[in-house]
Amino acid sequence: MISITINGKKINIEGPSTILEAAKKNGIDIPVLCHHPALELWGGCRMCLVEIEKMPRLQTSCTVPVADGMTVYTETPRVVAARKAMLEFLLINHPLQCPTCDKAGECALQDLTVRYGAVAGRFEEGKRTFPENVDDPIVVRNMERCIMCTRCVRMCDGVQGAFAIGVVGRGARSHVEPFSGGRYNCEYCGNCLNVCPVGAIMSRLHRYTYRPWQMDKTVRTICPFCGVGCTLSLEIRGDAIQKVSPAFGTGVNNGLLCGRGMFGYGYVGSPERLKTPLLRKNGKLEPASWDEALALAASRLLEIKNRYGGQAIGGIAGSRCTNEENYAFQKFLRAGFGSNNIDSVARLGLLHAQNLLEGVFGQGAAANVIQGIPRSDAVLIAACDPTRTNPVMGLQVRAAAKAGKKVVTIGHAQGLNRHRTHSLPAAFGTEGIALAGLLRELLRTKKFLPGENPELEAAIRGFELPELEEVEMLTGVPPAVITGAASALKDAATSSIIAGRELAASMDARRNFMLLAAIGYILNSRFFLISENPNEQGLIDMGCAPDILPGGRPLTLQTFRERCEQEWGGKLNPEPGLTLMEMFEQAGDTVRAMYIMGENPAFNLPGRKKVKEALGKLDFLVVQDIFMTETASLADIVLPSKAWSEKEGTYTNLEKRVQRLRKALEKDKNQESGMEDWRILAGIGKRAGLNNMSYAASSDIIGEIARVSPLHTGLGLEDLEEDGMMWPYKGKPLRMGGRVPPLPSLRAMASSLDAARVVLEKTLFHSGTLSRHSGALLDIMSGPEARMSPETAGQLGIPEGGKVKISTADGEMVLKAQIEKGLPAGAVFAGNNFGEAGSLGLFGYHLEPESKTPVLTVSDLKIALFEGHIP
Amino acid sequence: MKNSFGPGALALLNEIKTKYPTGRAAIMPALYVAQEEFGWLMPEALEAVADCLELPEMTVRSTATFYSMYRHRKAGRNVIRICTNVSCMVLGARTLKGVLEGLYGVAPGGVSPDGRFSLEIADCIGACGSGPAMLVNDDLHTGLDAKKIIEVLENYK
Ligand code: SF4
Ligand code: SF4
Ligand code: SF4
Ligand code: FES
Ligand code: FES
Repeated sequence: MISITINGKKINIEGPSTILEAAKKNGIDIPVLCHHPALELWGGCRMCLVEIEKMPRLQTSCTVPVADGMTVYTETPRVVAARKAMLEFLLINHPLQCPTCDKAGECALQDLTVRYGAVAGRFEEGKRTFPENVDDPIVVRNMERCIMCTRCVRMCDGVQGAFAIGVVGRGARSHVEPFSGGRYNCEYCGNCLNVCPVGAIMSRLHRYTYRPWQMDKTVRTICPFCGVGCTLSLEIRGDAIQKVSPAFGTGVNNGLLCGRGMFGYGYVGSPERLKTPLLRKNGKLEPASWDEALALAASRLLEIKNRYGGQAIGGIAGSRCTNEENYAFQKFLRAGFGSNNIDSVARLGLLHAQNLLEGVFGQGAAANVIQGIPRSDAVLIAACDPTRTNPVMGLQVRAAAKAGKKVVTIGHAQGLNRHRTHSLPAAFGTEGIALAGLLRELLRTKKFLPGENPELEAAIRGFELPELEEVEMLTGVPPAVITGAASALKDAATSSIIAGRELAASMDARRNFMLLAAIGYILNSRFFLISENPNEQGLIDMGCAPDILPGGRPLTLQTFRERCEQEWGGKLNPEPGLTLMEMFEQAGDTVRAMYIMGENPAFNLPGRKKVKEALGKLDFLVVQDIFMTETASLADIVLPSKAWSEKEGTYTNLEKRVQRLRKALEKDKNQESGMEDWRILAGIGKRAGLNNMSYAASSDIIGEIARVSPLHTGLGLEDLEEDGMMWPYKGKPLRMGGRVPPLPSLRAMASSLDAARVVLEKTLFHSGTLSRHSGALLDIMSGPEARMSPETAGQLGIPEGGKVKISTADGEMVLKAQIEKGLPAGAVFAGNNFGEAGSLGLFGYHLEPESKTPVLTVSDLKIALFEGHIP
Repeated sequence: MKNSFGPGALALLNEIKTKYPTGRAAIMPALYVAQEEFGWLMPEALEAVADCLELPEMTVRSTATFYSMYRHRKAGRNVIRICTNVSCMVLGARTLKGVLEGLYGVAPGGVSPDGRFSLEIADCIGACGSGPAMLVNDDLHTGLDAKKIIEVLENYK
C-alpha cells in the first residue's frame, strides 16, 4: 500500500496508480485535456500539472505514478499560473465560435477557460484558419478548434485499431484528418468523436439541433443491433432521440461503440414506422382499430386450432424482442394453443453451435466475459470475423493483439488483417479441415494433455486426423503455416476461441465443433459464440425452440413440463414441434397459420422464393413489427409494435449476461399507437380466453420467468441495475456434458480452391433490414455492394465502379462493385440488407439432419460485369 | 496513373527493409524512393509505400507531412529551394525570389509553366556565412545575386 498526501489530505492507494487516478478516486479534481481513461497515456497538453514536494518542476499528474510519501498540491498559485499559460497558448489559435459551436456547454476548453479566467490576447498575428470540412456524411471537421490533444488519433489507432486518421502537417498547421483529406471511409465507429474534448470533430446527425443543457433526460440502455449488448446512453429531448452518447466506464463495452450502435438509432424516428394495425380486406391491408385486429387474430387462431389442432400453428419468436416478450410468446403458443412449433433465427447456427459445445462441456460452455479476451495468452478466431458481426467484441481481439498476445485466424477475417500473429487462410468451407490440421499439430507437440477429463482425452486421441499435406491439398494452407500457428498456441496458459454461424451452419457442423472442443480443451480456452442479433441468446434461454422450455430444459423432461403446466395453467404437448425451415416446408399442409413476432423470414432466410410461397399458402398469417417488411406485406394481420427505445425489458447478450433495456420514449413523434410485443400477445390472449396471459407490465413477466426457469431463479430487475447479471444468474445450470461422439470422418471434398464464389457477409454498417430506415447508416453505405479484391475483379473483368450481376438457380441481382485490398481471391462478398439485392436471395439450402440448421447452397453461380442500368 | 513501384525501386525498397527493424522505422527512406519514382508524394505514392511496408496508409501520410523537405506537391523537373531565413534575407534573398518570378514565372510553392522549375522556400540550409543560398535539386549554390542566379539556373534544363 502506498500513502500520499494531496492538498493536505492523506490518501492510501492499493496497487499502481497515477496521481490523477488517485486524486479522482478521492474526489479531488484535476483538469485534463489530452488524458482519457480509455486511451493510452500521452502527457501532451500539460493541463494536469501539479506541484510535488521535492520536485523542482511541475509534473503531469496523468502520467506520474504515485510513490510512497509523496506530497502533492493540485491548485497552488504556481500550478494555476501554469495552467493559465497553457490555456493562453491554446486560445491563440482557437476561434471564438462558442455561440455557434455544438460543443458549447460540454466543451473542456470552454469549461477550463471559465475556471481559470480568460486571458487578454497578446498576439498581433491572426489566428490560423482551416475551412470547415463537410465532405463526410457523418463527421464534420472544424480544425480551427482542434487543440491537438490527439485523443481521436489514439482512439482510432490504439483502441479501434482502424488507423484511419492521423495528425497531418506540423507546428501551427497540424490538424487531424483521414487519409483522403475528405471523406473518412473508415469503420465509422464514432469513438473518435466521443473522446474529442472540444468541438473539432462532431457528428453531423444532430448538428445545430440542440444545446446540451436543453436535453430532457439521459437514459442508459442497451444497443439494439447485435449480441455484444453494448451499454449506451440515449439523450432525449421532447419525443426524439437527439443522440447516442457513450457511457465510458460502464457496460461490457466500457463506452466503446460501433457505427450501428452509435449512428443507427434513426430508424426509431422514421416516418415509415407502422402506426395502426392493418387487416387484409379484399386482398389489401387496410387500417383497423386495435380492438378489431386483436379480436380477429384471437378468433382466427382459435378457429384454426379447433379445426386442425394446435400443431397447425407455427410461431417465430423475435431476436430483437426482449426476454419477457419471447418468454410470453412461447408460452402463448405452447400453453395457449398447444403448439410446440416455435423457433427463431437462432436456428441459423447459434443454437446448434451452442448445443454441440454444451454437449461436451455442459450448459453455459460459452458464457464468458468478453473483457477477458485481451487477458488470454492466445486467441483463436475460427472462421468468422468478429470485427464485423460483433464489432465491439472484435475490439477485444484487437486489444489482445496490441498487448502482444497471439492471435490466430482461420479462414477469412478482414478486420483482423492487421491484428493477428498467424493466419491460416483456409478456403471457404474448408476451415474445419484446417482445424483438424491444427489439432493434429497440437497433439503432436503437446504430449501431455491436462488430465482433467480422461474420457474426453481418450476420445480426442481417438480422432483420425489428416496429415498436414492432405490438409494443404484441401484448404490451401501450407504445413509450415499450421505448424507455426500450433507452436504459437501450444504454450498459452489461457486462451479464447471465437466461432460463429459459419462452422455451425455446415453439413460438417458436428465435426467442426468436436475439433474446436478438442482444441479448446487442450488449450484451456474460453469459448465465445458470435451472435448477430441483440437477443439471440435470450431466444434460446426463453425456450423459443421446438424442443426446449425456458431455462434450456428439454421439453421431453416430464417433471419440468409438469412444472410449466402448473405455472401456466394449460396442458403442454409433449412432442417437440417443427423447426424454422420445416415450418415453411410444411406450410399449407400441416402448418395452416403462422405467428411471426418481429422477424422478417421472407427476406432473412435462404430459399427466399420458397419461403415467400410458403407464406402465401397459409390460411392465416399474423406479423408483429415496427415496419412494413417483406413478411408483413404478406400478412393477414399486421400489428405495429414498439421499438427498442420505447419499452422496458431485458436482453441476454452473447456472454449470457442479462441486461436491462430502459424505456426512453413513451412513443415516437411519428408513431401513434404501437404496442409492446408482449402487450399485443396479452391482448390476443385475453380475447382468446387464455387465462394465463394477463400481464400489466414487462416486470410481471420477468417475475414469472424467475419462478419458471431454473436458470433464472429469483432473478429480479433490481439485480440488473449496474452491468446486468452474468450466467448462471441465481439459477442452476443443467448438468450434462462429457458426450464426445467419435469424430465424423472428414468428408472427401472436391478441392475447388480456385472457383469464384459468392459469400454472404454481415456488413459493418447495416443490421438486417432495420438499418434500411436509419438515415446515417444509409449515408455511410447507401446501397448493396459486391466487395472483391483487385485480383478477383481482374479475373471477372469488372472495373472499379462497375456493376456486377450475380445469378444463381435461386435468384439474381445487380450490385455495385467495391474493389478492396485484403480480401481473399475468388470471393465476392455481398450482404443481405437491401431489398431486391439482399444476397440471401441467391442461396438455397439443405437441412443439416441432426439440428435442422439450414446450410446455404449455391448452384449455377454466374458472376459477370453488368453494363445496363439498374432498374 | 502510376500506382505501384517499378522493379528498380522495389529492389531498393527491399534492401531498405532489411536495414530497419520495423516497417515504421523504414518510412522515411522509403518515402525518398517513392518521391523519385512518382515525382512527388502523391496519394498513390503514399499508398504504395504503405503497401510495401505493410503499414496503414495514414501512418505513412502523417510521417510524410511532418517533414517539409519531401515534395508534397507536383514538382518541376528541377526543384529550387531558396533560403529566406535571417542571414540570407539580410543579404538579399527576397529580390532573388522576384527575379525567379519575373524570368521563369515561378512563385513559391509553384511550378513554372514549362514544368522546368519548381520553387520552394527553405528554412536555413546551413550556408548562412555565404548567403543568399539555394539548393537546386541536391546542389548547393551560394553567394547569389540577380545575375549569378540566372547563370546557375541556365545549367538546369
Ligand atoms: S470513426 Fe472510428 S474508425 Fe473512423 S476515424 Fe473515428 S475512430 Fe477511426
Ligand atoms: S480533433 Fe479533437 S480529439 Fe482530435 S486532436 Fe483535435 S481536439 Fe483532440
Ligand atoms: S458491437 Fe453490437 S451491441 Fe455494440 S454497439 Fe455495435 S451493434 Fe451495438
Ligand atoms: S492531461 Fe496530463 S498532460 Fe494532458
Ligand atoms: S539563413 Fe539561409 S542558409 Fe542559413
